[in-house]
Amino acid sequence: MQSAKPLKGRIALVTGGSRGIGRVIALRLAAEGADVIINYLRRKSAAEETVREARELGVAAHAIKANLAEPDRIEAMFDEIEASFGRLDILINNAASGVARTALELDDRGWDWAMDINARAFLLCARRAAPLMKEGGKMVAISSLGSRLAWPIYTAVGVSKAALEALVRYLAIELAPRGISVNGVAPGAVESEALKLYTADQDMAQSSWQTTPAGRMVRAEDIAAVVAFLCSEQADMIRGQIIVIDGGVSLAPGSPPAADRDQGG
Amino acid sequence: MSVEVEETVKKIIARILRKSDLDFSPTATFKDLEADSLDIVQILIAIEDAYDIEIQDEALEGVSNMGDFIDHIERRIAEKG
Repeated sequence: MQSAKPLKGRIALVTGGSRGIGRVIALRLAAEGADVIINYLRRKSAAEETVREARELGVAAHAIKANLAEPDRIEAMFDEIEASFGRLDILINNAASGVARTALELDDRGWDWAMDINARAFLLCARRAAPLMKEGGKMVAISSLGSRLAWPIYTAVGVSKAALEALVRYLAIELAPRGISVNGVAPGAVESEALKLYTADQDMAQSSWQTTPAGRMVRAEDIAAVVAFLCSEQADMIRGQIIVIDGGVSLAPGSPPAADRDQGG
Repeated sequence: MSVEVEETVKKIIARILRKSDLDFSPTATFKDLEADSLDIVQILIAIEDAYDIEIQDEALEGVSNMGDFIDHIERRIAEKG
């Protein structure tokens, strides 16, 4: 019988874990018993609130401020993790940023910003995290369906997520001999503040992404559940995969949601 | 406005906007300074780092120019104590 706290005793770092999807993932891992380290960029009060909520779940929790666009800040974050905890078992690469531009509007700085935070940061974090995973570990990168589809004004993020997914595959093979599993998840449109940034001028009310064949939009909790599974021993033989979490909408973007079909007989 | 805060903010904005010599009046806006949304995010990150404060995006909705912006930063510094 599986333990109610399958991640008890594990130490997990969730980048961008103070709010949004990262916060929900951090609290899910905490609910499954993991001690959590919450990385944040700007929202100290939100990070402290997430830490408080995690501790209420009976685990240790700690917040570390670090701008993942800057390699020296990543180094400092891992120096602190190494000094305070001595090891790491789970790395969730969730922090993401970008600029809402079409390809032709995108300038070098916007490109670099998205690539640095969304793709390079995973490489730099993995490089420091792997030696801390002394008894093996799990890495999960949060990608996006924008890595393989072309959405308006999503260029920088979409391309950086494609690089992230390729990095997942390379790290999965390179780190397998160390007992480290590396995988990713690619959600479709998720109910979140970030979604508003990229859909402000579009009629989302009519979009199939809001409904999906599964009958509803993807929620942060859906992503957290898959991430927690990928962090469990049950997922040990899944390596270098990107799990799509979109309610099936990318398979049939124009199809009506399940509820409509049911009503129509 | 405090001269020290004003000078620090000007230096940060000049660095982010890659301008060797930057001066602006209190009535200047980010648009006047040709700062785009990424510039503004990076300016906020740098100022928050410099003063160990948190600037809520929502609080900036009432900020119309650089004078207001620096006043807001000074209030956040004062609140921190």
